[in-house]
Amino acid sequence: MNGKIKKKGTILVENIVFIILNLLFLVVLVLFLIKQGSGAVVLEQTYSKQIAMLVDSAKPGMIIKMDMEKGKELAEGNGIKFNEAVRISDNTVRVKLSAKGGYTYSFFNDVNVAASALQDEKGEYTGMYMFTISGK
Amino acid sequence: MKLKTMNKKGADKILTIYWFVILTLIAGGIFAMVYVFYSTPYDVRGIEGEIFAERIADCISRQGIIDQSFFLGKDFDKSMTGEKFTKKCNLNFNVEEGYGDISQIQYFYRVEFYTLKDLTKANYSIYDGNINWESDCAIKKDSKDYTRLAQCTEERLYALNQGGEQYLIRILSVVGKSAKNVKS
Repeated sequence: MNGKIKKKGTILVENIVFIILNLLFLVVLVLFLIKQGSGAVVLEQTYSKQIAMLVDSAKPGMIIKMDMEKGKELAEGNGIKFNEAVRISDNTVRVKLSAKGGYTYSFFNDVNVAASALQDEKGEYTGMYMFTISGK
Repeated sequence: MKLKTMNKKGADKILTIYWFVILTLIAGGIFAMVYVFYSTPYDVRGIEGEIFAERIADCISRQGIIDQSFFLGKDFDKSMTGEKFTKKCNLNFNVEEGYGDISQIQYFYRVEFYTLKDLTKANYSIYDGNINWESDCAIKKDSKDYTRLAQCTEERLYALNQGGEQYLIRILSVVGKSAKNVKS
């Protein structure tokens, strides 16, 4: 009788270990997928190209606001000030969300673009960026 | 009886190892696919080409009337070159580093004006940018290296001159930039 109980117990532990390992495996896989999709490299490229396309289709006098909430979280997590995440010089946009990273893309619209991170009443960054387009 | 139990345990263990081998293979496949997917740059040249063509169209014609700067009296002003038009339309062909030779322009456009009497031969044509990209437009989409080539966008519109004569305007815009939009 005792032997029977012991045998069943052994099988249960094996099954639990097996299930835990499988779950661990899946969790690692899902975390990898999430990390890849929201990584600095991907976001830097996405924002950089989005901003370049916005500027290309803009006309002098326009003010464009862009939601960069995910970028803000990532930049601050990597020790980058949000107001320094986007740099526009000449006709190139550079987005930097990590210390070693950064992605640059050019636009063909020959205009001046001023980029600034918006702040709320408390002086905290809202996660929005404002681009002011003016003629040269 | 004891021997039978041991065999069963052994079979279970083999099954577990086999199961983890399968899982590792599947995970490896998923890791590889995800890595390849996210390391491939977003190709925005199609959109960029469309915006480029629209900007040129806006610059040529406002409310269906061709800009007077294209004409000298009733005829086209031959002194309106591509370079002049580029400057007039506030287009800048400088690009960021990463395209090899920095002086290599990554844009090209050609604008052709056709009268409705003869749609086979352009009455007037201007172009600017890197003319080497234009030949890429002749290559078919289903060819092997199509994605590595410059992306071409063609736009057509009708507009009138000041005298009310109708023109078909064909705009071809080409964007190179394959280094930043196509996986090398």
